[in-house]
Amino acid sequence: MDFSVLNEALASKSFNKIADICDNLMLQVAAEGVPFRDEWPFAIHLLGHIYIDDINSARFLWKSIPPAIKESQPEVVAAWKIGQKLWTRDYAGVYEAIRGFDWTQQTQVLVAAFSGKAFSIIVFINVLLCIKDLELYTKRMFELLQSAYSTISIQDAAQFLGMSEEDASNYVLGQGWTVDPTSRMITVMKQAIVKEQKLDPGKLQRLTEYVFHLEH
Amino acid sequence: MNSVEGLLTQIQGLSSTASDILSLQNVLKQADESLHAESTRLLPFLDQLDPSKHSLGYLYFLEACTAGPVTTESASSFVLIIARFISSCVAEQIRLAPDKFISVCKRFKDQVLLLEEPLRGVAPMLTAVRKLQSSTEHLTTLHPEFLLLCLLAKCYKTGLSILEEDIFEVDQPRDLYLYCYYGGMICIGQKCFRKALELLHNVVTAPMSTINAIAVEAYKKYILVSLIHHGQLSTSLPKYASGVAQRNLKSLCLSYIELANSYNNGKIADLETYVQANMEKFGSDNNLGLVKQVVSSIYKRNIQRLTQTYLTLSLQDIANTVQLNSPKEAEMHVLQMIQDGEIYATINQKDGMVRFLEDPELYKTCEMIEHIDLSIQRLMTLSKKLTVMDELISCDPLYLGKAGRERQRFDFDDFDSVPQRFNI
Repeated sequence: MDFSVLNEALASKSFNKIADICDNLMLQVAAEGVPFRDEWPFAIHLLGHIYIDDINSARFLWKSIPPAIKESQPEVVAAWKIGQKLWTRDYAGVYEAIRGFDWTQQTQVLVAAFSGKAFSIIVFINVLLCIKDLELYTKRMFELLQSAYSTISIQDAAQFLGMSEEDASNYVLGQGWTVDPTSRMITVMKQAIVKEQKLDPGKLQRLTEYVFHLEH
Repeated sequence: MNSVEGLLTQIQGLSSTASDILSLQNVLKQADESLHAESTRLLPFLDQLDPSKHSLGYLYFLEACTAGPVTTESASSFVLIIARFISSCVAEQIRLAPDKFISVCKRFKDQVLLLEEPLRGVAPMLTAVRKLQSSTEHLTTLHPEFLLLCLLAKCYKTGLSILEEDIFEVDQPRDLYLYCYYGGMICIGQKCFRKALELLHNVVTAPMSTINAIAVEAYKKYILVSLIHHGQLSTSLPKYASGVAQRNLKSLCLSYIELANSYNNGKIADLETYVQANMEKFGSDNNLGLVKQVVSSIYKRNIQRLTQTYLTLSLQDIANTVQLNSPKEAEMHVLQMIQDGEIYATINQKDGMVRFLEDPELYKTCEMIEHIDLSIQRLMTLSKKLTVMDELISCDPLYLGKAGRERQRFDFDDFDSVPQRFNI
């Protein structure tokens, strides 16, 4: 199997392309009738879907993984665990799933087992992907809190952001929110989203023509 | 045996220019019967042909080879041969014999299914669709086969790629029914409920002279998805739906209609009892998963209703009205709906209140105007296509003959609105 495209994407940190690359590669390999499943980087493939927030695809991929692989590769199970928590909207559970698995140690085991060069790179990057995943997820959660809450308790915010209460307070203070230490409540500052509103005159001209056409 | 060898030489000689290929096609058509008679001995000859050069000849040989019953042994040898042929064949050549190509591809699908490896067929089938169709607007018989393989191999995302294309040309009505039905299932899997509804609606309202199983199953799923997505079901089909569908569909999907009625009352306990009682029925239709999604969506629908009445409401009150156990549970439901963009609201944990807001979209951003402009342009293209189609039909001798005959049976007054060109 030729993983060079995948390795390139991982090396250049184009994490959002990983799911598509893996999907295409898998279809090609399968069409040639190569028994690929034992060597397939399922963990990366799963994380690739999770990274672009495509939990549906991650779930279908998980369903198609043979039970033998699920049993022998705990890393794959750990990767799906993240997807599972996202699927059930267990917001705080996602952090546990990411942190609750010793990715590095698994990496070493896998590298020893396969010792193929292409594979060792892939698995190393796997860890990177997870860390990146964590940052991305924290950012997403912060945006969710910003859009959904006007006030929230420090305790809940810490859960959503996957931090200790103190870290969470400092984090949101840094984003311009205010914290009331007596009631242990955070007041959320809404950020006005500035969207481009200037119109290209050509567009306006065209819309005017439509209306003109309709009225005559 | 000589004839087969002679044919082989002809294929090798007549595969370069377009005119050569046309005469080769005639030769092959005449030889088809004898090829089928010798089908068991043809396999070794395939090696002497290059699928990327002698595509048409290769196709005839391959079709004859695979004509026998499919067994596990034959399948495992043919699957790879056909997959390679599909990826290397020349589109212009195989389009000369679409029937042969379609039957080879259908056998290919049967073979991968027999081997229980649907994943092996996904990529080749997509290539086959692309090579067979004259444009992306053309729906081929292979479209539904491709979607079926995607479903079975759980490659839902790959299936979505083909569903984004607008279809204007269909060979067989059955292709359209199946394409929309499988397409609907793929969209359901990816939770693109809006698109799923559109596809399923197409099956239900498509022209049909007799009721068919695909439409019935599609209508069942349509009811469920409509409840999940819109929180309600409009039981009347549009006027343009066929008479057969109007008369029969509802009575064939009674338990689903009753589910919708129960849903409409908004009482969770009643809905759950009804589902429990009809569990077996929904299970045998393979719709249990969707039914469960319907049940859990009722909370969402009930919360959505509240936004129409209240500006602010306490989490406790929400929990009471929609029958959730605790304010915290209500908070999580509201949060999920905000995340999915289904309601606009802010939660105030300090006071335990939720404030419902208006849709912040003001329809004045560049993005929105771009979107409106694109929609108008798509509609204009569609309308032009309709006009062309309308003109084609009004010039069609078959149609005119029928319209003219029926005309005499009515009074002249009935035909006030018929344009002049109908007179022949």
